[in-house]
This record gives sequence, structure tokens and C-alpha cells, in this order.
Amino acid sequence: MEVGSAVKRAGAAVPEALLPSRSLGFRDSIKARTRTRCVGFQPPASGTWRKRAVRVARKGAVRSEAVLDEKAPPPMKKKEAGPVRLYVGLPLDAVSDCNAVNHGKAIAAGLRALALLGVHGVDLPVFWGVATAGDWTSYLALAAMARDVGLRLRVSLHLHAQRRPRLPLPESVSRAAASNPDLLFSDRSGRRHPDCLSFAVDDLPVLDGKTPMEVYEEFFQSFRFAFSDFFGATIEDITIGLGPNGELRYPSFPPSGSHRFTGVGEFQCYDKYMLADLKRHAMEAGNPFWGHSGPHDAPEYNQSPAFGKFFKENGGSWETAYGQFFLSWYSGKLLSHGDRLLSVASQVFGDLPVALSAKVPLLHWWHKTRSRPSQLTAGFYNTDGRDGYEAVAEIFSSKSCTMIVPGMDLSDRDQPQGVKSSPESLLSQIMRACKKHGVRLAGENYSLVGVGTTAFRRIKENILAENSRLDSFTYHRMGAEFFSPEHWPLFTEFMRSLMQPEMDSDDIPSSGERLSVMDAVPANDREMQTV
Amino acid sequence: MLLVRWKPVLHCPPQGHPRRGFAWPRGPRRSLLLWRPIRSPAPAFLSISSSKFSQAGRARVRPIVRAGLAQTPSLADVENAEILFSETLSLKRSQTVEGKIAVRLDPAGAEEEVSKWRLTIGCNLEGKWTLHWGVSYCDDLGSEWDQPPPEMRPPESVLIKDYAIETPLKRLSSQSERQILHELQIEFDSNTPIAAIHFVLKEEETGAWFQHKGRDFRISFTDYFEVDNSVGGNQGFSIWPGTFDEISSLLLKAEESTSKKDDPDDEDGNVVKQNRCIAPIYKEFPILKEEFVPNHMTVSVRSSDKTDKNIVQFDTDLPGDVVIHWGVCMDDGRKWVIPSTPHPPATKIFRQKALQTLLQPKADGLGSWGLFLVDEGTSGVVFVLKLNEYTWLNNNGTDFFIPIGSVSSTTAEIGSDDIVHEQQAGTETHDVRNSLSPNNSYPLQNKSLEASDPKNINILPMKPQGAQEAKEAVAYTDEIIKEIRHLVTDISSEKGKRAKSKEAQENILQEIEKLAAEAYSIFRISIPCFVESVSDTELMKPAVKLSSGTGSGYEILCQGFNWESHKSGRWYSELRDNTKELSSLGFTVVWLPPPTESVSPEGYMPKDLYNLNSRYGSLEELKDLVNSFHEVGIKVLGDAVLNHRCAHYQNKNGIWNVFGGRLNWDDRAIVADDPHFQGRGNKSSGDNFHAAPNIDHSQDFVRRDLKEWLRWLRKEVGYDGWRLDFVRGFWGGYVKDYMEATEPYFAVGEYWDSLSYTYGDMDHNQDAHRQRIVDWINATNGTAGAFDVTTKGILHSALEKCEYWRLSDQNGKPPGVVGWWASRAVTFIENHDTGSTQGHWRFPSGKEMQGYAYILTHPGTPAVFYDHIFSHYQQEISRLISVRNENKIHCRSTVKITKAERDVYAAEIDGKLAVKIGPGYYEPPNGPTKWVVAAEGRDYKVWETS
Repeated sequence: MEVGSAVKRAGAAVPEALLPSRSLGFRDSIKARTRTRCVGFQPPASGTWRKRAVRVARKGAVRSEAVLDEKAPPPMKKKEAGPVRLYVGLPLDAVSDCNAVNHGKAIAAGLRALALLGVHGVDLPVFWGVATAGDWTSYLALAAMARDVGLRLRVSLHLHAQRRPRLPLPESVSRAAASNPDLLFSDRSGRRHPDCLSFAVDDLPVLDGKTPMEVYEEFFQSFRFAFSDFFGATIEDITIGLGPNGELRYPSFPPSGSHRFTGVGEFQCYDKYMLADLKRHAMEAGNPFWGHSGPHDAPEYNQSPAFGKFFKENGGSWETAYGQFFLSWYSGKLLSHGDRLLSVASQVFGDLPVALSAKVPLLHWWHKTRSRPSQLTAGFYNTDGRDGYEAVAEIFSSKSCTMIVPGMDLSDRDQPQGVKSSPESLLSQIMRACKKHGVRLAGENYSLVGVGTTAFRRIKENILAENSRLDSFTYHRMGAEFFSPEHWPLFTEFMRSLMQPEMDSDDIPSSGERLSVMDAVPANDREMQTV
Repeated sequence: MLLVRWKPVLHCPPQGHPRRGFAWPRGPRRSLLLWRPIRSPAPAFLSISSSKFSQAGRARVRPIVRAGLAQTPSLADVENAEILFSETLSLKRSQTVEGKIAVRLDPAGAEEEVSKWRLTIGCNLEGKWTLHWGVSYCDDLGSEWDQPPPEMRPPESVLIKDYAIETPLKRLSSQSERQILHELQIEFDSNTPIAAIHFVLKEEETGAWFQHKGRDFRISFTDYFEVDNSVGGNQGFSIWPGTFDEISSLLLKAEESTSKKDDPDDEDGNVVKQNRCIAPIYKEFPILKEEFVPNHMTVSVRSSDKTDKNIVQFDTDLPGDVVIHWGVCMDDGRKWVIPSTPHPPATKIFRQKALQTLLQPKADGLGSWGLFLVDEGTSGVVFVLKLNEYTWLNNNGTDFFIPIGSVSSTTAEIGSDDIVHEQQAGTETHDVRNSLSPNNSYPLQNKSLEASDPKNINILPMKPQGAQEAKEAVAYTDEIIKEIRHLVTDISSEKGKRAKSKEAQENILQEIEKLAAEAYSIFRISIPCFVESVSDTELMKPAVKLSSGTGSGYEILCQGFNWESHKSGRWYSELRDNTKELSSLGFTVVWLPPPTESVSPEGYMPKDLYNLNSRYGSLEELKDLVNSFHEVGIKVLGDAVLNHRCAHYQNKNGIWNVFGGRLNWDDRAIVADDPHFQGRGNKSSGDNFHAAPNIDHSQDFVRRDLKEWLRWLRKEVGYDGWRLDFVRGFWGGYVKDYMEATEPYFAVGEYWDSLSYTYGDMDHNQDAHRQRIVDWINATNGTAGAFDVTTKGILHSALEKCEYWRLSDQNGKPPGVVGWWASRAVTFIENHDTGSTQGHWRFPSGKEMQGYAYILTHPGTPAVFYDHIFSHYQQEISRLISVRNENKIHCRSTVKITKAERDVYAAEIDGKLAVKIGPGYYEPPNGPTKWVVAAEGRDYKVWETS
């Protein structure tokens, strides 16, 4: 499929008229309807298609890949006015914890299907714990698979451990954490979160004499070195995992069980290093008593905010001077972690023709309360009367980092009663903050959309909204369910409705679809499948 | 065809001296005119092309040889003949022109206007040049372009979307001293916050794009960006075609140009200036532009009244050597066949599939010509032209077809069959480029050569394809071609009828659905590499110790004893003599026999765990041995028998169930469910080994004692890891406990149970068997690997019964544990139980090397049995180990099974090794990777990439 991909890469430097509009063109359609209606490029002479076909056929024996890579121009993304690029997430365990490609054949077929469908690219989740020895072969193989069918890549560099599927932290880190459990986040009752290193040790030489930041940087460098052939041409975007679950947050969810919980969560400031920092901070603030521990009156993970005094709607501790002291320190630690890690990332990747992005969580439970406990415990000091996302947007803006916000599929109506959830208003708050600071936004869905099309409609609304600033949207995630007969038709329907919002069959220029056919002609699938 | 009946031929080796072709006449009629008889050379020179029909005896009687231009009909002969068919083909040949692009940045204003600067971009090649450009602003860190501010835009500029503009270069009336033909000047104010100007050049006539090292040219005014892609870092240009179809062909040129580059100015490449200080720049960059030159070729077919053959005349004005790569078609006109001999002069046989004939230069030096004789039975001549190693001309991606004889209405048959044929033949593959003529379009089937309009013939730069494509690749290509042809046909016919493209869309949708269904089915059945077994309670523990027990991943294990090793009583010292040799053979881990005092001499009936004087030697000798291994870099595994332990004393009922020594356990340490030993512990967590009391690992004191013992062994003896005996006897979770307590470098458990058979025939699917092993590994939390008994069992059946198809499971992966969890699989073909003097389950005799060829090339950690190391197999094993090490195959390498048939199995590992075992034929396809044989023996062969 080199031709197809080459074409697209070449296309980046080619005037728009020749560009395969893989990207979804509705924003343009306002301005120049005729052009974007057809997903394809207009003028290829009729001879074009056939010859490419033959070329592809014979390609089986032509070796020109390396050449292509060298010549590939960098992606030239359009500015805000550009259309939304649609990505699909690869399975989290596409590379398993034993560093082998999982479901290779399925992914190969899936990638072709996506390419045919007109998806812009895929999100490749890379785990620190898997590629830890600098062995990138499996990830490279996946990247090549995507490239060979002409898909672009967003690579998510995850620095946390995943429970399900199980993807651990690097062995050396686990070992260090085993001998010094305080490297891990800890809750009030002393339970550790094995997902992620405490933000308080970021700059302490706790990993065989190196600081976690240094180790992260080495990991980034190693990635950069291994994927040098892919930047620009294939990899368009690097997402930095800023914390547990790949998001900028504390692991305020229960240490066991799924991430799906609707409780308030707990503060995670009870490891030795966090406590020491809190103590120092309290001394500086002239109130050493505040530094002894975290809030004693906060509820447990899944209790209601009304439990304990801290989050009480009126007169809760969160509104007191102590509450303000603690929350600003707690959220400040999170922000500075995000800031430093993004600085490291932009130092490593800044000169590459790729965009940088990072994800913030959409902590929508209890958003309609005044104290918004689930956001507070996750580290976002966003209460009634205080916008906690401005500061986040500012950091993203200073690093030119795109903010990825999940939960584009959630609507207020579908939330369970009693948890005072409001994904929609939280989302629009985040969007406002981003707009104010000129931060580019990318969207994700919260989970695979189940039966019913409300969620897809909601995603579409978010993407197509007049004031939408979405740069790309990543749909999570490929897997058995994704391709299941229940889900797949919904997804294709969604894709098509995005690509051709109001296409009439008579309007389609006859050359219109040819592109997608050609791009999808699977010349290399055998190679892909063997990975 | 009857004429072919006797056509013995004296034919020189194709590569040899083509002009010395000796040929036999076909019949008296022709021979009179065209050849004169000469005495035959020695019969040894005879080669008979069609032995089935040849009558060699007769051939020898009438040798007729013509020196010089053999077999070529004379022009005079040709002129007399009636022209059956004539066609002039127009050929378009590309020609590369070298030129340069000049970039100059200099101050434009008068003295007082220091902020005015001018960027001049010039080009010295003919053509219609356009600059496609944009800028980036200082505050923009992305790689996007922006349109330049309006005051910067030259008047003729055209806006391209919202991020670039295009400005044509002006043709200069008088040539400057630098021979710049076209030039564009952009003036700008250095106070504008522009970080860089980006551009690419486009040549409108050919539609080619010119870039710098595959990227935009960038004139950078800040030091923010790395300079490697800015204009100074001058390493080369690539040429990008403007229309998609041309890319494939032009790429090759681009590659050439890249390799050519050797810029002397490399050091001063950093034109990036600190923080927007602009300084004058002048730079030139070489470019290669492709131009098209029209040429013609006339092909005429005549029937000769002097012969019963047809004469095909080629006449072209192409300069230089022109080789016709040709064959003939028989009745159905699809297959390339080598024409019957004699062949024209200067002809080579190309891989038994086609002829390559060099045309003779014309007298006037303008072009060349040739005359070929073709039998009357043929339906046509198929050909392509070869100008040089990399340049081929063909008929819009297909072969030229010249109809012969009475089948004058034959249309130019083109398409997949020819292509497939080409691949089978191993000839070069063709890159197809676009015809610029719009009326030269499909449907292909309508392209009769008899049509009056001249054909466009395109230039085909070609890549020589190293060697034969594998049949598989052909079948695959065939499939794809069919697919494409299907689509092409659909689309072209639609095009013809101006039909809606909806149908095409339907086809795509169908394809999408098919792929999605495929993905779904595989996802659904795929077995995760690691089944999560971490419970919530475990997660809440503050720390989970992890030790993978897989060593470096590059381990090769040696079983350092056999069933007889205890006999001498001094095995430890005997083995010590071999440490260096084992190390030099490439082993990294050695497995020593059980070290404890034992009721049975082999050590597997341990009694006093802390007494390490055994039939293999004393504790001191053991320590010395371990040290010697460590000195040569080999890690040592102790054989830990944890399942059972023999008692020292009888209880009051006369049952042997009271232990002595340092671990003086009583009957509470023995599982309750074996009546022989009357244990008072809990029920066994696994299978029972009935010869000795089974230890109850659920007892805390037992586990504590065993952990302490294992730790003592590591410290006292220096063991680096464990081989765990009979781990079927107790729950893997206890093993996890022991492993975490002892943190072995490498650990492997013996989980040996039987495979599943139906009516004595082993089942193909041994998933249940390997699942049990994987379950056990899982239970240990991956802290220990396991011997891959499944792989051994399947190898048995595959090799013994010649059923090599067994070596691929339903998912096309290795069928043993190694296919599911390679990093934890320790592959082996024999050990002290299965082989040696016990022979409980001996590997098929004489096929051991096939087994080793399999396990030593595949992922997993291979284990080699002592008896095999010190046997006549040593050389071959040693070779395989070094191939494994040289190619850095490790326990997580990926396997791509390329063949699994009755009599042959083949696979590629990590794309670096190819291996085949079995008596059947297999050669790895020589595509982009060239394979060379790295090791071979009876019924196996290993290749590595050269």
C-alpha cells in the first residue's frame, strides 16, 4: 500500500485540490461546499486509477519503502479552521506485557477496514512498562502496519500501569517500589496505588539514582530514536500520559476494582514524600498543624459527599482557610507535575514535526454540587466560584500542547440520578478555558458506545458544533466489541454521516469515491498479517 | 506445431557468446536460402531443446551452423514478404536533466531602510515553475504553514486554502551570470514576526514537485528549530511528482538523487540565525528534473513465402542499446512462452521464461532494428523494452502484444495473467506511471493494437527483483490483482456508461464489512498473552514483588546431566572439565541435578534437604562446579524437588512419615489425601506423586521452611535459579511465593502431563494441554517459566508421521506453549526422563536435529539435553546456537509461519531468520530481504538475512 500512503504524504505538500480529503470536511463545507462534499480528489484523469491499480499489483515485488520514508514531507496540518481528524484507538494491549504484538491479524484486518472507511489514523498506546528495555520491535511493527495501510498515528506514551489488561510498570520501577512502597500513591488508610509513581518523587533520585523525570526523559528519547522514521509522515501527534489512566490526575479512585465508580474518591497524599511536602508547605504557610496529614473529615471512595464534613455543600471544610490551603497545595502538585513533564516532553519532541498533546479527565460526577468532590480528589481545584481548568489550560498553552478531553459521548440526560453529574457543563467549562488560552482541543469518547445511537449523536454534536474547537477526535477503542455486529454498523454509520453530512447520491461526482478505494487497495496485507 | 518435431539445436549457454549461436535448419527449403551447412562441432556441444520430440541421431547427421548473425532473415527476404500487420507505437522516454535552485537572501532597501530584505529564488531549468510557499510566525510552534502577510505577497500570487500561496517564477529575459532562467523575488520587512519561510517548487508541465530532503525548504530566521531541515542543511533534494500516479516511478529517481548527493557545503549548513537576526544567504541546490522525449517503434509482421514462419520486424529510433524482452503466446494468447529456437542473435534466455534480444544499431546510427522469426502456430508476440537496468518501457503497465498470423483480430490481451507470469518468471516488476493522454484510458480490453490511434507507451523505471518470488507470493499477488481488476472493471465500466459511483461504493462497503468481520472473529477468539489473575486483595498489598525468572531473554539452557550421571560418584568434578566448552558452545544457563541426599541415586527422592552430599559429589565439589560455571559466565539452576520428601522414620503405625534432619517435620507436613503416608495436612493442591510423601504446601511452617531452604541454597551453593521438579503436585501460587522469596534469575517448572489423543492419534489441537501449562505459569504470576511439553509432543507427531502441518495452530502460531506465552516457555526435545537410559518418551530417533532446528530458531528459551551436546550432533547444535545468537533471537521473538504442510514446515523469526524442517521443499522468498543459508542438515535448513 505504499502508493496510497505515499500519495497522501506527497499530498501534504500538494495543493488542496489534489488532496485526498481523508479528513472530514464539514467545517469547510460551510465555506466551500462543493469541494468537501466529495470525499476524494477531483481531477485525476480517468487513466489514473487503473494504472495505480496495476502498479499496486506489481508492487508485491518492488522495494521502495525506505525511499518513501525519506521523502515524506511533514504533515501540514491546517490551523483551527481545519476539519476534524478522526482516529480510532488500538487495543491497550495491542502490545502485551510480554512485549509481543497481540491480535496482530485482527488488527491488520481492522486497520484495513478503518482505512477503507476513511478514518484518518489510529491511536497507538505505548506503555512504559512494556517497552522498558528499549525493545520497540512490537510497537514498530504496529506502527508500520498502520503506515502501510495509509493511516496516520497518534502515539500515546503511557507512564502508568494498567490493571485490565494487565500492563505493569517497568520491572526496575516495580522493584524500587517494592523496596520503597512510598514511591507509590497512598490513600488515607495506607493502601497503595500500583498504577503510578507519586508526583512528590518526580525529582528525587529514587530509581537507581535517577529521578523519575530523568527516567521519563530517557523513555521519551528512546521512543524518539526508535521511531525516527515515522515522525511527521506517519506519526502526527504524541500524547504524553501525565498520570494514572494516562490522564492528568491523582489516582483518586479506589485502588482495586474498576475505574468506573461514581463516588467522590479519596485524596492521595499519604505517601511519605507527599506528606513531607505538605508539611514543608504548611510550615511556609505559617500553619504547621495543617501539615500533619490530609483532611481528616473527607469521606471514603464511594461514600456520598455528604458523609464527613469536608465536602459539605454549605459550610464544608473545603470552604475554610484550611480547605483552601490544602486544596491549592494538592492541585498545585498536580499542575506542577503536568508542567514539568510536558516541559520534558517538549524538550525531547519539540523539534519534530509532530504535535504534542495530553489528556485531562472529565470528572463529571458531583459537578452539580458546589464542592465538586470528585474533581477535588483528582486534583482539580474547581469548586463553585473557582475555575480550576484555567490554570490547566495555561500550562497546556505554554507548551503548545493539545488538550484531549474524553467523554464527548456523555450527555447529562443519560447520567444516573443521585450523583449530580453533568458532563456537558463540565465539558463546556473546559472548552471555555481552552478557548481563552488558545489551547487546541481534541476529543475522545468515554467508552465504546453501546446499543443506541444517542452517544454517537452526542459525539457528532460535539464535533460539529459551530463553536467547536476540536482538532481531532479519537474513538476508543478497537477490539472484539468494536467490530461486533452490534457495534460496528453504528460506527460505520457514524463515520459516513460525518464524512458526507448531507450527501445525495446524485451529487457524488463519479471520481469521488475512487480515492478511498485506491487508498485501501490492500497490497501489503500479507505482510501486515504476519506481525 | 508439427514443425517443431525435430528441431535439435546447437545452442550456446545464454550468457555466453550469443553471436556464436549454432542452429539447425528447420527444413530444407529454408536452409538453402538462409544458412549454409558447416561441419558440426563435437557432439558434446549439442543441447537439445525439445528432447521429447527430438531425433538426436538425425540431428547429428545434419549439423548446419551459421556463424555470425544466425537465424536472422535477411532484409531482402523480408521485403518480399507480405505485410500482415504493422503498427507504429509511440514511446515516451524520460530523461533526467540536472539543474539547480538558487536561494538568495539579501538586503533590499536603501541604507536607511535596514529592515527591508529580499528573498530571491531562481531556477536554471526550462519549465513552468511555481513556488508553493507559506510562512510560520514566531509564536507558532507547530509545523503548520501560514499565509504570508499581504504586503509580502507578490502580485501574481494565488491563495491556496488558508495556509499557503502559489507564485509563479518569472522567466528572465536575459540570462544572468548564474544562468538563472526563472526567478521570483519576495520582499519583506524583517520586523514582521516571521520565524521562517517555507516553500516547495512545482513544475507545472510535468507536475513534479521539488522538495528538500523530502520536506519543505525552510528559510529560518530564528534558532528555534533544528536546522537539519532548513535550507542550509543541504543533503539533497527529492522530487515529488504532482500527480499520484507518477510517484512510483519518480521515487526511484529521487532515490538516485539522494545517493548522489555529496554536498561540500555541509558544514556551513546552519543558516539559522540566532533570534531573528537575518543575514544574507546565497545557496544553490542541485535538482534532477525528468523530461519526456518522444520516440517511436514500428513493428511489422510479415509472412515469409520462404519459410513457414512469420517475420516480426522491430524498428525504433530509441537511442542506445535497446533490448527486447519478449516471448510468444500460444493459442490462448496469455502465457509467455519462449519461442522455439533458433533465436535471433544477441539473445539471452531470461530465467527460462523470456528472451532478451539486443537490437542491432541502424546504419545511420539513429536507432536500432531487429528481425525475429516466429512459428506460425503462435498467436502473438508479447514484449516489453528494456533500455537499461532500471528503465523499461511497456504498454501502459502491460505487455505489448503483436498478433501474428491469421489471428489478426486478436486484441491486446493484457492484465493479471501477464503480471502473474512475470512474477513467476522472476523478472523485474514494472512500475507503472500515468499516461498523460486522457483518451488513453480504459477499458483495457478495448485496446486493440489495430486501432488506428497510436498508443502511448510509458516509461517504466524498474527495480530488478533479486530472485524468484515464492509461489505463495504469486498466489497472493494473484489474489490482489483479481481484487483490483474486479474494482477496475467495475469502475471503468461505470465510467464508460457515466454510471453512478454508488456501485463502487457498495464494493468498498462490502470489503469493509468483510474485513470488520474478519477482525471481529479473530479478536473474539484470540487468547490474551497474559490472563489477569491479580485479585483485589493482592492489589491492596503495599508492594508486589516481581521477578520474571526469564533471565535476559537470550538464554540458552543446557541440561547438565543425564540419568546415568550419578554412577561415577564424581559428576560434579567431571562436569567441571566441560564448563569452558559449554560456554564456548553458547550456553548461558546450566541445569544441575538435584543436590540433596536422596533415597534414589538420581536425587529425585530427597530426604534431608540440608545434606548436600549426593551421588553426584560433595557440597564442596558442587560449590567449585558452580564457581567454575560462574567464571565462564554461565548461570546455574538448582533442581529443587519441592513436591515430595522421603521420611527418615516410621510413625507408631509403621508408616514412613516422620522427617529428620534439620527440617524435622511430622505428619502435618504431609498431604492428607494419600492413604499410603497417612498425612495430617490439608488435601493436596495438585496431583500426587505416589512414591513418596507429598509435602503439604498449604502449611505456613512448611512454606517458611522451604523458603528458608531455597534461600540457603542460593547463598550456600550459589545457584542463580531453579528447575522445579514435578510442579503438577502443588498449586502454582506457592511457587510464586517461593520465587518471590528467592528472586531467581531464571526459573522453570516441570509441568508434565499427557497430551490429548483420539484413538491413538494425537489431536491437532493441543490447546487444552498448553492451557494447563499456561494456567500453571499464570498461577505463579509469571515468576517461573515451564517446560514446553506441548511443543515436544507435537514435534513427535509431526516428525514421526510426517505431519508437519501440525506445527501451526488454528491461528497460524506455533502450537505449543511457545505460541501463547513464549517468554515463559522453555522448549526442549529430550531430558533425563524422556530420553537417556529411561526413555519414557523418546524423541523420534534420528530426527533430533530437526527438533533442535525448530527450538533453537524459535522464541522461547531452548534447552539442549546433555546427551545431545556430547554426541555427533554437537557441531550442528553449536552452529544453530551461534546462528541464534548472531541474529539475536530471544524468547519473545515473533514467528511468522510461512508454510505448514504435510512434509515441510517453514517459518520466519523476527524477519531475521528463516527455517524449514521436513523433507519437503522450501526456499524463503527473496524479496527485499536476501536470505543466505546459515545452517543445514538432514531435513532442515536455516537461513539468515544477508
